[in-house]
Amino acid sequence: MTNPEPEADARRLAEAGRDRARFEEEVLELADQVYRVARRLVSTREEAEDLVQETYARAFRSWRSFQPGTNLRAWLFRILTNLNIDRGRREQRTPDTRPIEEGDYFLYNKLEEVAPVEDADRVVERLSQDSIVQALAEVPHDFRDVIVLVDIGDFSYQDAAQILDIPIGTVMSRLHRGRRILKSELAEEAVR
Amino acid sequence: MSSFLDPCAKCEEVLQPFLDRELTEEERHAAESHLDACGYCRKRYRFEESLRRYVRQAWDEPMPPDLKAKLAELRTPLL
Repeated sequence: MTNPEPEADARRLAEAGRDRARFEEEVLELADQVYRVARRLVSTREEAEDLVQETYARAFRSWRSFQPGTNLRAWLFRILTNLNIDRGRREQRTPDTRPIEEGDYFLYNKLEEVAPVEDADRVVERLSQDSIVQALAEVPHDFRDVIVLVDIGDFSYQDAAQILDIPIGTVMSRLHRGRRILKSELAEEAVR
Repeated sequence: MSSFLDPCAKCEEVLQPFLDRELTEEERHAAESHLDACGYCRKRYRFEESLRRYVRQAWDEPMPPDLKAKLAELRTPLL
């Protein structure tokens, strides 16, 4: 098909180029947030860097699938979490069947059992920063993804549901269970 | 369901959505008025808030400085 308006065509191309460049700028501005989340989705810094680079390569390639006016952060983090799921972690998935009867006050109560709590704001300092990083690594992936998106990515339950393509009720139950597992890990550390 | 009878158990149940700001206004008011009257729950809510801050600090690791340049290299070359 011949184009009767080559100038209009060139203009459209130039506009598309500008839109694309703007899109890429906006996506790059989110890099720090993407890295911070990626870092806690995987075990090592190297893996996190690879994951972020793959995410950006895919985001730049598939920019046309982003609908302007919708949530760019959620779109980008969806690429990140999908790539992370694709990175073969399905093989290592085992259902988490540990019983978690404890309520949400469990960790505080445990710390209080070990030694009286003078100051509720400072009792956390009994936990080492390393043990907190280690405790998150012990949380199974499905639960960890939700914790990381909500607690590090600052996403709402609704956004986390959209990113992970799961119902909001599942976000809530995974968050609930994931945080309980995390606290059980920390409690074990606290009484050691 | 004991939580509907025991206000502290109910308060414990809504701790996470309370801190995530995901409660309805009505639920939040109910939790707040219980917290005003109950030192036991108040202490545990304060602990949870500081735990969250502390945990975020522990998990926080900024992007390595050279990564952003690597990402910028992945951009579409200008024509």
